[in-house]
Amino acid sequence: MTTTTTRPPGAHLPLRRPQTGRTVGGVCAGLAAHLGVPVGVVRVVLVLLTPIAAVGPLLYVWFWVTVPVGDPADAAAADRPAALSRLAPRLRDPGRGVPLTDIGVGVLLIAAAGLLVAMRQGVTPEATWVVPTLIVLGGTALAWSQLDAVQRGRFFSQAGGRTSVSVVRLIGGTVLAGAGVFLLVGQDETLDTLVRSAVAALAVLVGAAVVLAPWALRLVRELGDERAARARESERADIAAHLHDSVLQTLALIRARADRPDDVARLARAQERELREWLYDDRKVPGTSLAADLRRVVAEVEDGRGAAVETVVVGDRVPDDATEALLQATREALVNAVVHGRPPVSLYLEVGADQVEVFVRDRGDGFDLAEVPGDRFGVRESIIGRVRRRGGTATVQSRPGRGTEVHLCLPVEEEQQP
Amino acid sequence: MSMSQSPPAAAPATYDVVLVDDHLMFRAGVRASLDPSIRVVGEADDVEGAIRAVRSLQPPVVVLDVHLPGGMGGGGAEVITACADLLATTRFLALSVSDAAEDVVAVIRAGARGYVTKAISGPDLSDAVRRVAGGDAVFSPRLAGFVLDAFGAAAGDVATGDDELDRLSAREREVMRLIARGYSYREVASELFISIKTVETHVSAVLRKLQLSSRHELTRWAAARRLL
Repeated sequence: MTTTTTRPPGAHLPLRRPQTGRTVGGVCAGLAAHLGVPVGVVRVVLVLLTPIAAVGPLLYVWFWVTVPVGDPADAAAADRPAALSRLAPRLRDPGRGVPLTDIGVGVLLIAAAGLLVAMRQGVTPEATWVVPTLIVLGGTALAWSQLDAVQRGRFFSQAGGRTSVSVVRLIGGTVLAGAGVFLLVGQDETLDTLVRSAVAALAVLVGAAVVLAPWALRLVRELGDERAARARESERADIAAHLHDSVLQTLALIRARADRPDDVARLARAQERELREWLYDDRKVPGTSLAADLRRVVAEVEDGRGAAVETVVVGDRVPDDATEALLQATREALVNAVVHGRPPVSLYLEVGADQVEVFVRDRGDGFDLAEVPGDRFGVRESIIGRVRRRGGTATVQSRPGRGTEVHLCLPVEEEQQP
Repeated sequence: MSMSQSPPAAAPATYDVVLVDDHLMFRAGVRASLDPSIRVVGEADDVEGAIRAVRSLQPPVVVLDVHLPGGMGGGGAEVITACADLLATTRFLALSVSDAAEDVVAVIRAGARGYVTKAISGPDLSDAVRRVAGGDAVFSPRLAGFVLDAFGAAAGDVATGDDELDRLSAREREVMRLIARGYSYREVASELFISIKTVETHVSAVLRKLQLSSRHELTRWAAARRLL
């Protein structure tokens, strides 16, 4: 594990079994990270402890069972108060793909099966408890190994715990361990006694399951709630990180172009709009809001021309072909006002029951429609023509000292109120 | 902006202002951009501090941010509510980087005399302060848009009597629409062939309706955002 987090001397990373850099269960890697010593040292110590009453393997199994899976650095970060932690998620090094644990368990099981077959063939190992014990161990390891792959919290989740692999692991492990236990306990019993005691044991298990079911269900539900809350929280953190990231980039751009005031103003305006939208607005589903579409048009014009448009919207409706034409005309009028007029440019959209009105106003000297040459396609065709073809009206009012105002009015069908 | 107009005629020389905003940089910026005739006599950066400053200084105008830390989380509206007994002598002008309806309407309904965005220029803000100090209402185009939205923009739905709180009169509606289109008070007056004083009267009447109305949409809208 390489962590660049600066920690005070003496502070330890919490004990976790990391999923990257592990060889079997991640116990050694976790201990090494926790104690701040090289992994090799831990491994050597565990191997050296093995001859002393198998302390090494026992310790290993003990840690494997009790220490939760996780990245020690992440766990340390999670222990810090949220307000002090970085919002952006950390990058991590990709883990190794070979499932050594699964391979180990598989080899153990095959060996056990081979032994069972051999026993059927008449080969009897010296100690009768060896084979059942091996089978119990293998089954338990198989069942527990899924806790290794998925954290306890994600045990029941759709994504983690209920994959077919983990179900197979659980069922296979249970069957094997059960069979092993029976072989171990009922070594000298007859088949009839074995079957009857198996039925009795099963009945006890079912009874216990019925009693414990409500508790288990509640646990599952609480886990689900908690997970949903955590997902929401992390989604929010993602958004915040994205926003801060985009602000940082805008600031960098602004600094690089500090000598070009037009660019700076345009960048700042675009960033302001984005922040405002994320912070204070509930975003609409695309295609359901004329107001949102209009804001998009305004954003395009502002970004393209480096000007600010004061936008006020009253009412809203679902856009259709007619309002789309109105939006295009509005866009042309805005570009016209930004390019030929003088700021500030104001835009007002009012959605009434039977008509939609748009006012685009700038403080320039304006123009007389009669004097606009016929070949100037802009105003005549793309603004006025568009709206008139849809049965609307378009007027341009220009007065010296009062600026220019384009007024578009489009009749619309009454909307069905939901 | 609709505020770029000359100050009311009989204006006293200086105005004392308390500035409430939780961003130090922004307070410094506002202080630097205000006219010399407007004196910042106190500053605060949270709800409790703002209430203390307003109560002890009792300035004619308080310029305050809509979003403030502290208190019960009510921000600027909470400050105004806590100082409701001073509203006759101390007027509040809301200043916000947010132009979301719920934020703005909350402070207006609490008793603010106007609302402007933080993008406002220094002279326009100074003008808005003078206007609020003179007892007038300050409407930005955005606020006029909210009013039209909340009271319904449909032409048929107009008030017939002056005492009707839940609907706008035809004239008030016209004034609001012009302000929303970016007209200054002076331009509204000349467009409708009325005096600026009459425009101010209409705007103040609309502000009163916005604060007191129990109009169905407004109530439902406010309740949905837990403003009432």
